[in-house]
Amino acid sequence: MRNPRVGWALLSPTLIILLIFGFAPFLYVLFVGFNQWNVFSADDGLVFNGLDNFRRLVFDDDFLHSVGLTARFAIFAIGSEVVLGFVLAQMLTRDFPGKSLFRIIHTFPLMVAPIAVGAIWRLLVIPGFGPVPFFLDRYFDLTYQIGSYPDQALMTSVLMDIWHWTPFVTLTMLAGLSSIPREPVEQAKVDGANRLQVFWYVTLPFLRPVLLTTVFIRIMDAIRTVDEVWMLAGGGPGTRFTGIYIWRVVFPRTDYGYGSSISLITLYLTIVLCWLLFIAISGRRKGEVE
Amino acid sequence: MTTSPRRRFWRYVSTYAFWIFMTLLTLIPIWWMLVVSMRTRVELFGRPNLALSRIYLENYSNVLTDSTFQRYMTNSLVVSTANALLVMILALLATYALSRYKLAGRDNIFFWLITNRMAPPAAFLLPLYIMFTRTFRLGDWTLFDTQLGLILLYCVFNLPFAIWLLKGVVDGIPIELDDAAMIDGAGLWGVLRHVIIPLAAPGLAVTGILSWIFAWNEYLFAANLTSVVARTITTALAEFVTVTGTNWGELAAMSMVTLVPSAIIVIFAQRYIVMGLTFGAVKE
Amino acid sequence: MKKCFTIVLLIAFALVANMSLVSADDMWWADAAAPYAGTTIRGVSESTPPSNYVADVLAAQFTELTGINVEFETTSWDQMYSKAINDMEANTGIYDFVYIEQDIIYSYLAQDYLVNLTQFAADNMDLASADYDEMAFTSFADYFKNADGDLFGVPMEAFVKVYLYRKDLFEDADIMAAFEEEYGYPLAPAENFEQYADNAMFFTAYGEMMDMDLWGTTVQGSTGHPASTYEFLESIGPSFGLYNWGINLDAGSAQSANGGALDGDTAVEALSFWLSMLPYAPPEATSSTWDEVASSFAAGRAAQGWVYGENAAWIATDESRSAVTGNVGVRLPVTAPGVIEAAQMGEGYIGYYDGGAFGIPHSSRNKEATLLWLQFIGQPAVQAEWAAAGARITHTATFDDPLIAEQDMKVDGYYTLLEEQGPLFAGAPPFPFHAQVREIIDPFIQRAILGELTPADALSQAAMAVDEELARLGYGM
Repeated sequence: MRNPRVGWALLSPTLIILLIFGFAPFLYVLFVGFNQWNVFSADDGLVFNGLDNFRRLVFDDDFLHSVGLTARFAIFAIGSEVVLGFVLAQMLTRDFPGKSLFRIIHTFPLMVAPIAVGAIWRLLVIPGFGPVPFFLDRYFDLTYQIGSYPDQALMTSVLMDIWHWTPFVTLTMLAGLSSIPREPVEQAKVDGANRLQVFWYVTLPFLRPVLLTTVFIRIMDAIRTVDEVWMLAGGGPGTRFTGIYIWRVVFPRTDYGYGSSISLITLYLTIVLCWLLFIAISGRRKGEVE
Repeated sequence: MTTSPRRRFWRYVSTYAFWIFMTLLTLIPIWWMLVVSMRTRVELFGRPNLALSRIYLENYSNVLTDSTFQRYMTNSLVVSTANALLVMILALLATYALSRYKLAGRDNIFFWLITNRMAPPAAFLLPLYIMFTRTFRLGDWTLFDTQLGLILLYCVFNLPFAIWLLKGVVDGIPIELDDAAMIDGAGLWGVLRHVIIPLAAPGLAVTGILSWIFAWNEYLFAANLTSVVARTITTALAEFVTVTGTNWGELAAMSMVTLVPSAIIVIFAQRYIVMGLTFGAVKE
Repeated sequence: MKKCFTIVLLIAFALVANMSLVSADDMWWADAAAPYAGTTIRGVSESTPPSNYVADVLAAQFTELTGINVEFETTSWDQMYSKAINDMEANTGIYDFVYIEQDIIYSYLAQDYLVNLTQFAADNMDLASADYDEMAFTSFADYFKNADGDLFGVPMEAFVKVYLYRKDLFEDADIMAAFEEEYGYPLAPAENFEQYADNAMFFTAYGEMMDMDLWGTTVQGSTGHPASTYEFLESIGPSFGLYNWGINLDAGSAQSANGGALDGDTAVEALSFWLSMLPYAPPEATSSTWDEVASSFAAGRAAQGWVYGENAAWIATDESRSAVTGNVGVRLPVTAPGVIEAAQMGEGYIGYYDGGAFGIPHSSRNKEATLLWLQFIGQPAVQAEWAAAGARITHTATFDDPLIAEQDMKVDGYYTLLEEQGPLFAGAPPFPFHAQVREIIDPFIQRAILGELTPADALSQAAMAVDEELARLGYGM
C-alpha cells in the first residue's frame, strides 16, 4: 500500500538541499582539516600533513579550556531553560483571563536578533552606562565587572542565554503538549492516577520526541554560539567558547587547516553527545526496531 | 474538575503573581532597549536611570528614513518568509515520508539530518563562499549576494530542526486515520490535506514561527555571503559598532523596529497554537 | 548678410559661455572616463565617518562627473577584513577597491593581492589626472609603499593617538592648589610617566572625594578584544622604546635570547606601568575597546588619557555626543627619556600612525575605472570638506585650508600637531603576519590585565608563543 519510492520522492527535495549546502561544504572542511594551510604563511599553499592538526589540538590549552567553558555554559543554560520552559508551557495549558497576553510577551526575547541581544545585555552590564553594576554596587555593595572577572562574564552569558532561549523551549513544549491525544490521559484519570503519575506515565512518554528535539537544538546552538556572546564580551576569558575560538582561528589567524580540524572534532563531539542523548531519551537500543 | 471557590481564588492569585514576575523579568532588557533608543548619545553615560525621561525620536527617524535600511528590511522579510514557507512544506513532506514509509536506513537518515545543524559555522564560511561565487555561476550571475542564496542556505539549519520537531507530531497522529481516509478514496495529497495538516497544525505553526525567527535573526552567513543587494537587517545592526563610537541609540532603535514584524508574525501564528491547545488533552 | 553674421556671433558667444561653465578639469574627468561610463565599481569599507562621507558625497560627485557608478559596502571592522581577504584570496573579483587598514598592508603585499598604483598609472598615462600627485600626501603614505617606493593604496584617513586632558580640571584654581599642596609641584598635563601617574592618582582620589564619576586616566583594556593588545604594543610600548612589537624580523624571534625584545626589560617596564594605571581608570576600562575609551572620555569620566585621534574632534566639538566640549586639551603622548630624540633622528617612533587607504585588488575587473576613482578622492580639491566631516587628513595641502585652520582652534591644535609631529609616529611594523601574531599575543595581555599572570610571565610566555607561531608560518628561525 505504501510504496517506498513515493517516500523517497517526498524526502528527495530535503536531501538534495542538505547534500549541496550542508554535506558538500563538510567534505571541503574534511579535506582542509588534514592540511596545513594559512594564507598568510610564507608558503601559502595547502600542504597535506596527515594528523598533525589533530595532534596539535590535543595539546592546545586554549582549545581544551574553551571546551570546558562551553560545557559549563551549555549545562547551566540548557538545564535551566528546559526546566523553566517546561514549567511555563505547563502553566500555559491552564485557562485564565489574560493568558494570551502573557504568552505573547513571554515570546518577545526570541524575536530580538542575537546581535541585538548581545548589544542590549552589554549595555545593561558594562559599568559607566549599565544599570546592573550600578544598582548592585549601590544597594548590595557588590562589584560587577564582566571585563575583570571571567566568572561573572560566564554567568552573564548564561543568564543572557536563558533569557533569550527559554521562550523557544516553552513554544516547542507547548506544541508537544498540544498534540498529546486525549484518551490515554482520560483513561489514566479514570484508573485513579494522581497528577504526578499522569505526568510521569502518560504525558512524559508522549513528550519524549519533542523534548529530545528541543534539547538537541539547544545543545547544538549553544555549542556553536557566536554572535550574542561576541557582542556581549567579545570572547574574552570566561566567554571564549569553542564557537568563538574556532572563529578566531579561522578568521583573524586565517589558519584554515587548523580551524577546520577543530571544527571537525567539535562536530564529532557534538554528534557523539547527541547520539548518547538520543539513546538515553528515546530509550532505543541498537538493533531494536520500533 | 470541581474546586472550592477559595482554592480557586488562591490559585488565580498565585498564577498571576507568577506571570507578572516572569513578565517583568522578560521585559527589563527590552524596556532598557527602548530607553536607550530614546536617548541621545551624550545622555547614555553617567548614573544609569531606568526611567524614560522624555520622548526623543531622532534615532528612529534616522533609521527609518535611511533608504538602505528599507532595503535591508525588505530583504530580511523576503528571505525569512520564503525560507519559513519552504521549510514548512519540505519538512512536512519529509516527515511524512520518514513516519509512514519503510525506507532503508530510515533511522540513520533521520539522525544524519540533525547533524547538519551541528556544524560550527566559522570553518564552513570559506567553502560556502567559494560555492556561492564560483560553483553557482551563470554568466555574470552568481548565488552570492542574492536572496535566493540565503533562502536555500538557511534550510541547512532550519530543515533538520523542523523535521525533528514535526516527526514527534506526525508520529502521534494515529496511522488508522490515514488508512481510513485512503479507504474513502483519498490519495496521498488528500491524506496530507485532510488528515495530517489539520491535526499537525499547531506543530506546523510552531515550526513555521521558529524557522522564520531563526532566519530573521541569522547574522554570520548573511554578513559573509551578501554584499550590497541582498544584505539583511542583522548585518546592519553590526554596522553601528565602529572605531569612532558605537551608536547605541540607533542600534537600539533599529532593534526595536525589527521587533515589530516578528511580533506580528508570532501573534498571528499563535492563534494556531491556541487552536491546538483547545483540542488537546491536557487542558484543565 | 549682416543679420546672419550677428546670429553666428551670438551662437558662438553662447557656446563659449556654455563651455566656461564646465571647467577644464571636469572635461578631463569626463573624457578620461568616457570608455568606462556606465560601469559600476564596488568597494568595501568600515562604516566610519570618513567612509560614510566617501559613500554619500564623493561617490555621487564622481558619478555625476564621469558616469561611473560607485557601489559602496560599509560594514563592521571584522567583516571588512574577512570579506576583503576572502575576495582577494579566492580571486573572486567582487570588489574593485578595498579598504586597507594600514597595519594589514604588508600582509596583503606579501600575498601580492594589490595592484601597484604607481606602476599602473605610469602604464596608463591617458588615465593620469594632473590634479593627483602621490608625492603630495603626508608621511602617512610612506606606510603604503613597497621597498621601491611604489604606492599601493591611496590614503583616505589618518590619525595619531594623542594624549587628551580635561582643560577645565587642569586649569581649575582650587584643584591646582590642592595638587601642588599634595605633590609639591604644579599640576600640568603629563610630560613623563611619574607625572602621569601622579595626575592619575590625584584625580581618582579627587573624584572619590567629590563623589563625582571621575577617574585619573583611560586604559583601553578590554579583555575580550584585540584593542588592549594594540594599546600596549602600539602606544605604550613605543613610548617606552619598545619598537616593532619586540619582534626581530631578521632573526624571526620575539625572545631576547634570540634578538627579540618582547620579553625584555623595556617591555616588562611598559606593561607594568600600563597595568598599574588600571586602578585609576574607570571601571569599564577592562571592557573598553577604542571607541569605548573615547566614549568614557567624552562622558567626562577620565581626566587624561590616550585616545585615538579620529575621536579628538568630536569629543572636543560635538555636543550631542560629548559632555566635555570646549574643555579638551591635546598633547603628544608621554614618552620615556630619549624616545622623542630617537624618533626625531629616525631611529624609532613614539606611537602608531593609524588609518587606512583604498587599494585595487588584482582580482578587480574594472581596474581602469577604479584608478580614476582613487585619483578623484586623492586630489586636493575634495580634501578639506572631507577632513571637516571625518577629522582625517592625508594630504599636505589640507592643513592650509581655512576650514581646517578654523577646526584646529576648536580641537586645541590637533591638526597642527598632526602636521608638525606626524612624522614622529609610524605605521605598523612591516610584518606579513600581522593579524596572525597579534591573535597569539592577545590572550597573554588579557590574562595580565586580569592579574592571572605577572607582566614578566605574560610577556615571556607571549614571546615563546609568538616564536612558535612564526616557525609554523615559515617566518621563524
